[in-house]
Amino acid sequence: MSRISARYLAKRLVVSYLTLLVIMTLLFVLVRSMPGSFVSSMVSPQTTPEQIMALKERWGLNDPLWQQYVRFMVNYQTGSFGRSTTFNEPVWNLIARRMPRTLILFGAAFVVAYTVGPLVGMYLGWWRGTTRDKAVFGTSLFVYSIPSFWIAWLLIWLFNYELGWLPSSYMVTQFQTFDWTPVTVMADVLKHIALPLFSVAVVGWVGAMLIMRPSMNNVVDEEYVFLARAKGLSERTVMIKHAARNALIPVTTGAVIALAFLIDGAVIIENVFSWPGMGQLIVKSVLARDYPVTQAAFFMLAILVVGARLITDILYTYLDPRIKFGEKR
Amino acid sequence: MATERETTRFESVRSRWRPRIERFRRGWDRYTEHWMGLAGLFILAVYCLWALFPSVFAPHSPDWAAYVGTSGRMTPEQIATLPHPPAFGDPFFAPLGTNSTGQGILTLLVYSARNALYIGFAAGILSSLVGVPLGLISGYYGDTWIDEAIQRVVDVMYGLPFLPFLIVLVALRGITTTNIILGIAITSWLNNCIVIRGETLSLKERAYVESAVVSGASDLRVVFRHILPNVWPLAFVFLAQDAAYAILTQAALAYLGLADFTSNSWGIMLLNVRKAGQIFSAWWWLIPPGLAIAFVAAAFYFIGFSMEDVTNPQREP
Repeated sequence: MSRISARYLAKRLVVSYLTLLVIMTLLFVLVRSMPGSFVSSMVSPQTTPEQIMALKERWGLNDPLWQQYVRFMVNYQTGSFGRSTTFNEPVWNLIARRMPRTLILFGAAFVVAYTVGPLVGMYLGWWRGTTRDKAVFGTSLFVYSIPSFWIAWLLIWLFNYELGWLPSSYMVTQFQTFDWTPVTVMADVLKHIALPLFSVAVVGWVGAMLIMRPSMNNVVDEEYVFLARAKGLSERTVMIKHAARNALIPVTTGAVIALAFLIDGAVIIENVFSWPGMGQLIVKSVLARDYPVTQAAFFMLAILVVGARLITDILYTYLDPRIKFGEKR
Repeated sequence: MATERETTRFESVRSRWRPRIERFRRGWDRYTEHWMGLAGLFILAVYCLWALFPSVFAPHSPDWAAYVGTSGRMTPEQIATLPHPPAFGDPFFAPLGTNSTGQGILTLLVYSARNALYIGFAAGILSSLVGVPLGLISGYYGDTWIDEAIQRVVDVMYGLPFLPFLIVLVALRGITTTNIILGIAITSWLNNCIVIRGETLSLKERAYVESAVVSGASDLRVVFRHILPNVWPLAFVFLAQDAAYAILTQAALAYLGLADFTSNSWGIMLLNVRKAGQIFSAWWWLIPPGLAIAFVAAAFYFIGFSMEDVTNPQREP
């Protein structure tokens, strides 16, 4: 911790917290400005005006807006998210059930993408301008341009429909007849995760590669690389141990931004594969005007992104000792 | 006299523009060394032609239906054969087959180019119009409250996941192409802003900017006359990337059912494949729209990255 001043850390924590508060305010405004209230999604034409009033009263919609706002801010920071209007269970339960599934799928995809991407970027950046670099770079940009759900369809077509090797939906086999031992369940989940994971990763690694390639190319001419070569180290050692290590720094920033894009991917891919995670939940709840779930889901994702940004800034100081925060230039 | 004055004006315009034309020509020469950039321009040119003159390139009009042309009704037996695989000659000409309502796939493909390019260019330009000025201001007034305020706004926006936020915006404002473009622009100006800010921060330390400040140029003049011209190339790179992102996002929204169904678009073609339950049986209907989206997005990325190489030659290729 010596490299980072406590003052700076405290300042960043406060700023992150304030950012979250602003995001929450934005969420409140956004959701309240949707046409109709969420009560209108619960009523049918047969509902009497008295019943609607009672519903509004029960959900606290008749209170002044500022009271609703204060209640919303206080409730969310104490972890009470209310009840879902469409799933009819506490929002917290819904999220606690679905968040891990999303984290499993996209954690795995993140690891794959951020292993393959920087590696490929490293090679392309080192040999920038060669025919091989141009061919691989062009191809990967094209792959980057393919709509994720379309590539998922093609994968399902090949591996599920034609070959029948891998299942195309849900996280475990529905109505399974096998024993519930951890091993079989694990194998079952692995089989189910294969296609969605591949669909995300096949596009996702390009983002990391795009950052790594120029970054690697920048360090190629640095003096320490020249020195390492002069010492007689092999090209491979120079590239991986000396150059790539320093080129990785911009990739960590990119990784946080990519987190947001992975959530984008989650929304689509989870819908394609009926993966019962947060992405599917968000789309369902937004379209059903299920405000409590929508707000809570956005809130959780906001915490994820804001927290990740804070962590990268701290990680930075460890990756590159030259970077120091909290000190005047 | 009059003619002479006009000549001199023309001369002065020419002498003023000559260095710019020269610079453009040099840039163009560098650009043509990149096969990716040329491929991107070629693809974009084809799509632009499709968008401008769809009736020349499409074999039929969008109203056309297999068997009956533009009028009449199909018999139940005829409808049962739809979607029809590629057919040449009689009874109808459909080089890429038809969809389940009998429209030609190639026809739809060509007519959808206009929508994709419109969304791409509009969203790209809009998010540049927001992101570039904010990035310039933020960078020029770096380390002051103005910069701080803009960066905090960017932080907040990053905290909101893009696509879910976009879904809320579109669900909120109604599903029209204009709203989709506005929503994409609102969520995608952040990258422009951050990158332009970084560039501006380094540019304003250069000697020529400092000398302009010392010689009494106003902030506005320094930003627009001295910094902006050096930021343009980078802004164009991000415009191209935003355009590609916008086209892909529109396809994703269409997949979720959030697209304007009255317009022709590749995303809607893909949605219709799914709705008709023909994903795995009508390959001639599934493959072309996906490839069309991939090619136009790739064209924008190709152009963007080639321009990055041209304007920022780290190393000779």
